[in-house]
Amino acid sequence: MKFSVVAPWVETPLKQFVDDARVEIAVLMHPTGQVLGQYGFARSVDVMTACALASAIHSTSSELGRQLEGQPFSALHYSGRDRQIFLGTIPAHGSTLVLLAVFDAESSLGLVQLFLEEFKARVAASTPPPVSEQAPAMAENFERDLNRNLAQLFGRA
Amino acid sequence: MSTAFAPLTESLIRHRGVLGAMVVGLDDGLIVHSTLQIGVNGNAFAALTASLYRKARRSSNAAGFGATGFLELAAEQGRVCTAGGKELVLVVVCESRVNVGLLRVELLRAAEQLP
Repeated sequence: MKFSVVAPWVETPLKQFVDDARVEIAVLMHPTGQVLGQYGFARSVDVMTACALASAIHSTSSELGRQLEGQPFSALHYSGRDRQIFLGTIPAHGSTLVLLAVFDAESSLGLVQLFLEEFKARVAASTPPPVSEQAPAMAENFERDLNRNLAQLFGRA
Repeated sequence: MSTAFAPLTESLIRHRGVLGAMVVGLDDGLIVHSTLQIGVNGNAFAALTASLYRKARRSSNAAGFGATGFLELAAEQGRVCTAGGKELVLVVVCESRVNVGLLRVELLRAAEQLP
């Protein structure tokens, strides 16, 4: 399985996280659903679907957190029969990124949480400051940027 | 916060050289109850040791040896001892000087009370 990244700084932290936490799938994205890097998917349409769903889940759970506790929930975990998903927020130079991780019995929630903390530290250390100033594209640019990122990930740029 | 598992961890932490005792979920690697000395990274020990125990159990089953009873990891400056049930494991973090024989007896006795 191959790593594919849009921003070069994503590769090292994401690869380390996948190796350490033994997850099957890992996708780092903006909260809007724009992908920055991924491991585990072979088709761009799958990444697009996962990002759209993860973005929607993140928005929903964040709002639930605001309603219940006055601040967004920082992580969400769902355990299925064979696989589990974990959605965590990653602070990056004043903005927030979202990490989607899918894992099976080879890993555990404890391991994912443990190595998420190291991932956060690596992202904080490797995110170049100019990136934080580039807000995720919205409205008229969103679809164009989304398609460009997916094309970069799968070598069609 | 005291739980039903507090007597188990408190009986283990009394041993000389024991730095921490935890009841940990075997599948998720999360701490259910812990008694730790300051400075022990309980979450890391719990997640990693539960993972190790799961793999040891699978290895033991694959070899046809049956259930894993007691797992001890000896390092240069300390030891991690684990014994468990089907759902929970007891993890003890200790210094090298600990009386392993005595600890093993206590740990196995305590582990019998785990689900």
